[in-house]
Amino acid sequence: MDKLWVITAREYLERVRTKWFLFSTIFGPVFFAALMILPAIMARRTKASEEVSRIVVLDATGHQVGLRIADGLSVGMIGDTARTRVQELTPAQLAPAESVATREIVRGELTGYLVLDSAVLDGRRVRYAGRNASAEADMDLIRRVVRESVMQTRLEMAGVEPNRSASLVRTQLAFELERITDRGRGGSATVSVRFALVIVVTLYMALMLYGQAVLRGVMEEKQTRVAEVVVSSVEPWKLLGGKVIGVGAVGLTQFAVWISSAILLLRYRTAILEKFGASAMSFTPPDVTIGMGLVLLLFFVAGYVFYSALFAAVGAMVSSEQEAQQALMPIILLLVSSFVFFPPILSKPTSGLAHTLSWLPFSAPIVMPLRIAVIPVAGWEIAVALISVAAGSYIAVWIAARIYRTGMLMYGKRPTMREVARWLRTT
Amino acid sequence: MSNPAVEVQNAWKRYTGHVAVRDLSLTVPRGSVYGLLGPNGAGKTTTIRMLLNIIAPDEGAIRIFGEPNSKPGITDRIGYLPEERGLYRKMQVRRILRFLAQLKGMSRADADRRIDQWLERLGLRTKEKDWGEAKVDELSRGMQQKVQFISTLIHDPDLVILDEPFSGLDPINAQALKDIVVELRQRGKSVIFSTHLMDNAERLCDSVCIIARGEKVLDGAVAEVKARQGDRHVAVVLSNGTPAGVPTILRDPALVARWDDSNRMLEIELAPKASAQDLLTRLIEAGASIERFELVRPSLHRIFLDRVGATGVEEGMSGHG
Repeated sequence: MDKLWVITAREYLERVRTKWFLFSTIFGPVFFAALMILPAIMARRTKASEEVSRIVVLDATGHQVGLRIADGLSVGMIGDTARTRVQELTPAQLAPAESVATREIVRGELTGYLVLDSAVLDGRRVRYAGRNASAEADMDLIRRVVRESVMQTRLEMAGVEPNRSASLVRTQLAFELERITDRGRGGSATVSVRFALVIVVTLYMALMLYGQAVLRGVMEEKQTRVAEVVVSSVEPWKLLGGKVIGVGAVGLTQFAVWISSAILLLRYRTAILEKFGASAMSFTPPDVTIGMGLVLLLFFVAGYVFYSALFAAVGAMVSSEQEAQQALMPIILLLVSSFVFFPPILSKPTSGLAHTLSWLPFSAPIVMPLRIAVIPVAGWEIAVALISVAAGSYIAVWIAARIYRTGMLMYGKRPTMREVARWLRTT
Repeated sequence: MSNPAVEVQNAWKRYTGHVAVRDLSLTVPRGSVYGLLGPNGAGKTTTIRMLLNIIAPDEGAIRIFGEPNSKPGITDRIGYLPEERGLYRKMQVRRILRFLAQLKGMSRADADRRIDQWLERLGLRTKEKDWGEAKVDELSRGMQQKVQFISTLIHDPDLVILDEPFSGLDPINAQALKDIVVELRQRGKSVIFSTHLMDNAERLCDSVCIIARGEKVLDGAVAEVKARQGDRHVAVVLSNGTPAGVPTILRDPALVARWDDSNRMLEIELAPKASAQDLLTRLIEAGASIERFELVRPSLHRIFLDRVGATGVEEGMSGHG
């Protein structure tokens, strides 16, 4: 038992020590964060171009509304105060100033000009002219800043303290949207589909990646002939078992980091997004119970054992990378076949196809979690699927152990199917 | 204590198409250096793998220090250096040695202490540089071979099995390995090594077993093996070339079983009923002027060639060094 532990510990530690592991484990949370923050920032960015602050404000109000607007346009990541020019004018000077500004705009020195006449403080009218007058996002920003500045000036004229007026004006309402469909509140349906997609892709990638890691480990031991030294000290099944457990533990470690970082990011998303100057978008987290998480974990573990045993068997049979690619085809096909049925199963999770695939040992690890994510599945069905995968895993391990024991010491040409069959029969 | 280090009784190993080991029995006395000799493909590696319980014989029994070799823990007393040697390339030397030591049941602390001793002894750990901290693929081939020696001996095994240990070694490492074998012998350990290089076997082995085509050809203590053949071999040097009558004498089957003309010297194996006295008389009668006429013990090389014969060697002697 403790030799199995020695091998498991080596597999685990040597993998966890690599730069690749560090990179991919950290990359996960960074990727999630980027996924969350970038769209929010992009959404903000599309509101206004950088050109928006390159304007001249022709202010004839006599209450320095123009300066306030220039301030408002320079806030945040867009523009700087120096770019927005303010000219304090009398109403009579407005017309000539407009024609000067127009010429500057034509020459490309300015984007536009804003005219604040006496009608502004009555709350009636503002005029803007510029190259970007039809750019919705730019105009939204200017409209908001002008409205806030005018409102703040009017509040102060009505006797409100400057400090209070600023906070009164600045109201940012998060506008949450929810769709109502024939089925009622529609939000949760898209969430569960998205959640199912995440689960299926993750399981598929994990089975593929960690299965291949087992394969490469076995091939390395065979090619470098380390296997011969090791199996002179321990039974071959312990070398195989330790490798499968060790690599699996690496996978679970990585998932633990990813999942907990995703949960933390989601929980504190509002605070994080505010740091980046973006507002949180509405997000409904998928409805995952502890029990469901446990079932997902069981399916991952059982599926991983099933596939990694098969990958290990291939690794023990072949002597080169090319041979491995060929011999892997049937296994990859099994794995891909359970992945490609994703759309039909998703659209009809109660069909015969969905039922069958969720019970077969090679596809159940992916298809059953998919069904669980989108519809309620009876407990006995989940139990049947789990037993099926466990039985499949047992057989796969049995086959792999036999192939492994003989194949690890066979060098040279790849064995024929008949030879492999003979390996299975010998005890 | 009286149990031999290794006892193989009537072991068979069959593969499809050929028999790798055929009814092999041998005994390795404790505290001796034992040579398993034979051409490539004779079944040496299969035999060694059976000793280590890596593969099981189809028939027959194998005992290590009196215990069946399938008994748990018995292989912890064996150190094994396979013919095809390798290490995890990306792994740190110290970690790989610790790993292999722990697989032999050593505690981590004991392993680390002995790793340091061995690294220092083989010059892999000096004041300037500790190669134990390096990864295997940063080491030269010679250094990797040293690490492999260490991995074989790290747990202070009572029985050391080396499969073609001298193949691919540079002269310095070959010498280091020879010193290690001699030291192990002095400390009462048992060493088995396979080789097809008779010179090495001749110098190192207390006992040998020659196998060919999966079968034992002969075995026993080297002195004994030689003595068994010894009085039938005569080394002859003539000072006047080869007089006309001499070839006739050599071709007389009643007198000469085999001869090997090495130009300056004739090595003659006497026919079963002939005596050296008869041969000497006949040579003098033929007019040969005798410079040297000596009963000699044949070299292992000679015995090997005589006993294994051309057929057993055909795929053998052309093999790599």
